[in-house]
Amino acid sequence: MGSAEALPSAAFTLALASLPDVGPARLLALADVHGPRRAWDDVLAGRAHTGPVGSLMTPDPGGLARRWARAASAIDVAALWTRHLAAGVGVADRSDDSYPAVLAEDPHGPALLIWQGDLQALNGPRVAVVGTRDCTNAGREFASALGRDLSEAGVCVVSGLALGIDGAAHAGALSTGRARPIAVVGSGLDVIYPRRHADLWDRVAADGVVLSEHPLGTEPVGWHFLARNRIIAMLADVVVVVESHERGGSLQTATQAAQRGRVVLAVPGSVQSAASRGTNALLADAGVCCGVEDVLAVVGMVAPQVVERDRRPRPQGTDAVVLAGLEAEPCSTETLMIRTGLPLAEVAMALDHLETAGWIVRRGAWAERVGSSSEQSSL
Amino acid sequence: MAPTLATVASATLLGVDGHPVTVEVHASGGIPAFTIVGQPDAACREARDRVRAAIQSSGLKWETCRYTVNLAPTGMRKAGAGLDLAIAVGILAATDQVSAGDIGRVGFVGELGLDGSVRKVPGVLSLVDALQTPSVVVPRACAVEAQLVARHEVRAVGGLAELVGCLRGEQPWPDLPAADEAPVLEPDGLDFDQVHGQPFARGALEVAAAGGHHVLMVGPPGAGKTMLAQRLPGVLPDLNGPDALDATRIHSAAGVRLPAGGLVRRPPFRAPHHSASMAALIGGGSARLQPGEISLAHAGVLFLDELAEFPTFVLDSLRQPLEEGVVRVARADAKVSLPARFLLVGAMNPCPCGMRSSPDSCRCTDHRLARYCRRVSGPLLDRFDLRIDVQRADPLDLLQSAAAESSAEIGARVSVARSVAASRGVRCNAELSPAALDRWAPLTREAAAVLEGALRGGKLSARGLHRVRRVARTVADLRGSDGAITESDASCALVLRSEPSFLVARMAS
Repeated sequence: MGSAEALPSAAFTLALASLPDVGPARLLALADVHGPRRAWDDVLAGRAHTGPVGSLMTPDPGGLARRWARAASAIDVAALWTRHLAAGVGVADRSDDSYPAVLAEDPHGPALLIWQGDLQALNGPRVAVVGTRDCTNAGREFASALGRDLSEAGVCVVSGLALGIDGAAHAGALSTGRARPIAVVGSGLDVIYPRRHADLWDRVAADGVVLSEHPLGTEPVGWHFLARNRIIAMLADVVVVVESHERGGSLQTATQAAQRGRVVLAVPGSVQSAASRGTNALLADAGVCCGVEDVLAVVGMVAPQVVERDRRPRPQGTDAVVLAGLEAEPCSTETLMIRTGLPLAEVAMALDHLETAGWIVRRGAWAERVGSSSEQSSL
Repeated sequence: MAPTLATVASATLLGVDGHPVTVEVHASGGIPAFTIVGQPDAACREARDRVRAAIQSSGLKWETCRYTVNLAPTGMRKAGAGLDLAIAVGILAATDQVSAGDIGRVGFVGELGLDGSVRKVPGVLSLVDALQTPSVVVPRACAVEAQLVARHEVRAVGGLAELVGCLRGEQPWPDLPAADEAPVLEPDGLDFDQVHGQPFARGALEVAAAGGHHVLMVGPPGAGKTMLAQRLPGVLPDLNGPDALDATRIHSAAGVRLPAGGLVRRPPFRAPHHSASMAALIGGGSARLQPGEISLAHAGVLFLDELAEFPTFVLDSLRQPLEEGVVRVARADAKVSLPARFLLVGAMNPCPCGMRSSPDSCRCTDHRLARYCRRVSGPLLDRFDLRIDVQRADPLDLLQSAAAESSAEIGARVSVARSVAASRGVRCNAELSPAALDRWAPLTREAAAVLEGALRGGKLSARGLHRVRRVARTVADLRGSDGAITESDASCALVLRSEPSFLVARMAS
């Protein structure tokens, strides 16, 4: 036990977080009252339920305390701590000086914070750009452009590294290198999820910081992402929801942010787009974001001037008719045939022309409009 | 008694082919017995009881002696009850109730009932075809089918007593049921004019019918995939002579009811449920090696609804017949090859939740979606020349009273396109070899540019290129052009072979 005395309290918080069935609320209750060191002793002795966390240990406090004691006896606190230090990640609990002030102010701030990259990235204005994984191409382009423009203006982009909107926002922010990106993830920092974003993850960690409240090796579980959303809401000065389905997780980020008095902005979308149903509904309570100016106005900044010019050749004849039939949301060939009244051969040829010229992109059997060519190049 | 021997010509069925069998009956004194040798299966061995009862109830005499029946050649397994009649006639000849001279030039096919009636058996067309005798006796119910071979004098009888009377010359042979020369085809009530809207799906199926291209329809529940597929045979041309005969042989061998006139003249439509076993789909079974669904769909349409629900190994077993047009089924003691050249129509939901009709409306988890994608293997997906998304029809189109184009109008264009393909030496464009493509489907410069763009963009593989060119050829044929493939033909073919929606991944950034 001699070496255990030398360990910082974060090591014990880490050990507590490694116990089974410990969520953010139980961890906070365990660590907050008498400190993690004493909480760990209680857990080892199997009397955790007698402390203040007991009320959170329903339905069977005694049973859970025994399970914790059993699990705790198998955990070597010192080894766990060394393993995290060796992995090159930073670990802090709420008593540490390095623990960010913005999270310390919040009563629901994570009891344990593990990061990869530089925690100094949290300094400065921060805007969260979040949205659905099942986004439209238009939504993705908007998120990417917004990430880029915010970063250009020196604003840190906070997001969740998920597929779709989240990833697009980070990719856009990374393209300028002006402000440092911040990512909050729902798994251990060595469990990269989604795998397809492994590269993006590394770039965010290199330029900015990737945060997690889970020990290394934690698998991503559904509720982790909801808990992750609350940290995004705490970190951001402004939350922008780009696209969200009727019952999307990003709406929950917006709710969490609103509860903390942060400004929530939503990007309006077509009433026919399923991916904009949640954001359109959110507009009743949130502000409107139609571009980077709307966000910068909230944080009291002015957008840098960007000159854009569309170099794409104007479509002619049937190509123009088909393009007019297309909207920002994905559209099938059949719908286009009905909208334009043109036969399949002409629609097919026009789609090829438009795709070559950069007016549309195609995914499988669907076609959708793209914005200007400059936005396309940043993807 | 002195031993006597009688031989009678008959045939047995293996797969869809008939094989001649000589039934030898040896009657001698000794302990009374009745044995059948020469690899009879259970149904065939039970002929002993049926034959004895039939002879007794037909007012004929059952001599108490020792009968040995040999079915030659002995190396082949004999299945079913089709040899009953030949065995009975052999016994009657061996006991001098009919003369050997009367049966020497006649083949016999039929199953016996205990009351002496002669019942129909499957595969009469192939069985009669295998017989080399100048005349054949078949059950009355099979008379029309037996006459399709047109090489024999066909006699149709209803019972054993009647047959013996005719063989002895005591009564004339009964008249044959008249075969209708041009029977009226019963309309099945399925017509494309009942499909409102859906111009894309209708166009795609027209191309499929005209070029014989396999087609995969992906769409949400209720989009009308089954409705469209059921109407596809209606626009295919009538079967030509050899195809009709093959289809009839298969249907007869499988015991499927034949249309009036005996000959299968319309392309068959088969839609097995996804719980179908490998043997039911491909063909086989332990004794008779019956044709499966893919053979029953020969020269017609095989519709696999809910494609992703079929077991993966069953689907993958379709790959070889799809390439070769025949399926070779082998068992320990028999090998048969069954014709199986069909137009494959697959239908499936775009994802487990069924809502992936556009990329942003599906709410399936990554994991479920990935599992769903794996259910249909890449090589099988590759064999679909046409891969289309079917959407629910526009409600306005559904309510519209104006009738859509009918099957007859579409069928006329399909027939023309098929005859153009026939002039190139193939049944349909889907069978054009790469060499034939170079000869019959040259590309204009613009069309080549379109295909080159798709190849460069990674949307098209080298093998996919040939398939797209075949489809483009069909599109041009339907347009009435016999010349080079134009830009619009190539674009059209590419749109008709888009990546199935369930493979379109969520966007990574």
